[in-house]
Amino acid sequence: MSLAEPAALPVAASAPARLHILNRFSHRFKASLPAYLLLLPSLIFLALFTYGAMGRVFVDALYQRATPKAPLRFVGLDNINAVLADPAFTGAVVNNLIYAVGTAIPSIALALLFALALSRTNAVTSALRAALFLPVLIPMVAASALFLFIFLPNVGLLDYYIGRFLPVLPNWLGDSDIALYAIMVITIWKNAGYYMLFFLAGLQAVPEDVMEAAHLDGAGPYQRLRHIILPELKPTFLFVIVIATLNAVTQVDHVFVMTKGGPSNSTSLVLFYIYEQAVEHYDIGKASAATLLTLAALMGLTALSFRTMANREGGA
Amino acid sequence: MLFSRRLMLGLAIAGTMAGALSFPALAGEGPTEIDLFFPVPVDGKLARDMGTLIKEFNEGHPDIKATAVYTGSYDDTLIKTRASIKAGKPPAAVIMSANFLLDMQIENELTNLDPLIKADGTTKDQFLGQFFPALQGNAVINRSVYGVPFQNSTPLLYINADQAKEVGLDPNKPPQTWAELTDWAKKLTKREGDKVTRWGIAIPCAYDYCGWMMETLTMSNGGRYYNEEFGGEVYYDTPSMLGALSWWNDLVYKHKVHPPGATPGPAVSTSFISGNAAMMMLSTGSLTYVRDNAKFNYKVAFIPRNVRNAVPIGGASLIIPAGLEADKQKAAWTLIKWMTSPEKSAWWSRATGYFAPNMAAYKTPDMVEFLSKNPDAKTAVEQLDVAKPWFATYKTVPVRKNLEDEVMLVLNGKKQPKEALVAAQKAAEETLKPYNAETSLKLP
Repeated sequence: MSLAEPAALPVAASAPARLHILNRFSHRFKASLPAYLLLLPSLIFLALFTYGAMGRVFVDALYQRATPKAPLRFVGLDNINAVLADPAFTGAVVNNLIYAVGTAIPSIALALLFALALSRTNAVTSALRAALFLPVLIPMVAASALFLFIFLPNVGLLDYYIGRFLPVLPNWLGDSDIALYAIMVITIWKNAGYYMLFFLAGLQAVPEDVMEAAHLDGAGPYQRLRHIILPELKPTFLFVIVIATLNAVTQVDHVFVMTKGGPSNSTSLVLFYIYEQAVEHYDIGKASAATLLTLAALMGLTALSFRTMANREGGA
Repeated sequence: MLFSRRLMLGLAIAGTMAGALSFPALAGEGPTEIDLFFPVPVDGKLARDMGTLIKEFNEGHPDIKATAVYTGSYDDTLIKTRASIKAGKPPAAVIMSANFLLDMQIENELTNLDPLIKADGTTKDQFLGQFFPALQGNAVINRSVYGVPFQNSTPLLYINADQAKEVGLDPNKPPQTWAELTDWAKKLTKREGDKVTRWGIAIPCAYDYCGWMMETLTMSNGGRYYNEEFGGEVYYDTPSMLGALSWWNDLVYKHKVHPPGATPGPAVSTSFISGNAAMMMLSTGSLTYVRDNAKFNYKVAFIPRNVRNAVPIGGASLIIPAGLEADKQKAAWTLIKWMTSPEKSAWWSRATGYFAPNMAAYKTPDMVEFLSKNPDAKTAVEQLDVAKPWFATYKTVPVRKNLEDEVMLVLNGKKQPKEALVAAQKAAEETLKPYNAETSLKLP
């Protein structure tokens, strides 16, 4: 680059400014053309199946039928307003918030605990890691079917063992006060092992010499955790929190299999609400509007967390 | 919008199915190829039975090549059918939950079968006359035929006969009224202190089943649940439904003989099979499952009455979606007539546990023999005399859910029956509003 500069400079000085920009642009385009060509196949499919679909959702969210036989007409933001005014939607959002907080915190705490306990590699910890990771490998639908049996009132595995200690046997999935928490248990069981992997990777990055120095200075295990390990794991925490929150919105297969949002909408989450609007109410406009709202919330969340991460890296 | 959909569809077809779509179809030679969408709402053996049935049909009809496509549950089948209608590629025939027909007709998604019946030289009355009268209500809309009954059911009372004998009850004289049933349930419930170790009776309540059971209880209390003639009205806030829900609530919280909370069908049948519930109300469709799995003597009986004996039907009809080419429509009609003929109807009934909608099926020798060996299957057929149509409204599923959500609150002890039904009525009227705006409230 430094060699080419003296030759290019006089040309740039004599040519008009606009041409210069165009020139530079075409030059840059030429240079990156192979990259675009390589991206093209996946861009085509992304456009067809991802961006195309998103565009379609955006358009559909603006249309509605007044009565079943009436033609579709443009209604602007009416669908979005209708969704926001729907108590079923606000209920689903509240449920989803409880679900997100109630699954993210315990599963991340468990994951960190597992990772700390199993950070050294030997035969025993490898076996335990594999065992803790096993639930991740089971598809959510299969896991739900398993838990359907475990939660079966009176005769299921859970009631069979702990039933004798309880005065009244709970109807785990049939009681509107308990069902959401029963669903959350499955998510925690399934995700803790997955997040453990990230923490294990994060722990590898904790500098050995700093730990040794702390040890020599007489820092106890708690002090080492509090002042060295946790600060070093901060990026991992941020990343896992984002993943856990996204999972809380998108990974809800077990709701479909186990409760279908019931009883009395107590386990209805946002994605399930969208499904209900689209499939049961056959209301594509409202379903698309709810999808847009969810998408906006998720994108906002992701952008925020990426910015926090970038800030941190820039500051460091 | 249209363009992009066409484009996507075109690309998908070009990309994946170029080989499959080759010359015979274009040249108009070879058999007419049709798809049949079928759900499996009960256990997995059904899919194999359907394969056998379609293979036999294809062997007997060389000009038609039918393919059976498994489409999941009843609800999934509705979703997939609607998706393929929207994509411009409807299946030729679908086994559709009988109470979805009205909603589909309102959305212009069904083929009117009257012209096809007329083309065969039969009248509508002759055609419908083959089937049990109780099934006709869900097949006929505005005096036109839109569906042909294929596999049907009614709710039954299942009794653990051994447990009944153990507490001094005679299983050969099952309870006939709500009062007798309450009495039986009290005697059959076993307690250790406050803890119940055996429930007297269990009635399922999960989405879909719950609405059907509410209709069952309401009908045997003299009620109707919905307007059979018009899809814009339901009768939730009525004395007959209030009585039904109050009784159910009493079984749970006053007599404490029914488990609290909302329990889905499979949990109820497991409970019954394991001896944890002495009686249950469940579909005839579960009869084969109970017969194969119960390690005790059981009895089935009519649903007991408070005012009258009456139950709703359940199950599915064969339909032809709208927007099909004439040759495919004709082929689908041939398939439907073949599948609902007495012999095939009877065979399907024995294979699955559903009863055969075609009355002549019960006169076939194989069926007569089967019934003499399995008298419990006979009870289901006898109850058909008092059976009535299954609720079907504009947006059946959401309108049903409006009620179910409230019933679940009652069973969980969160609401009293009256306030729950008032809320359900209000919610349902809100859901039905657009349809009423177009029909009953559209004034000159």
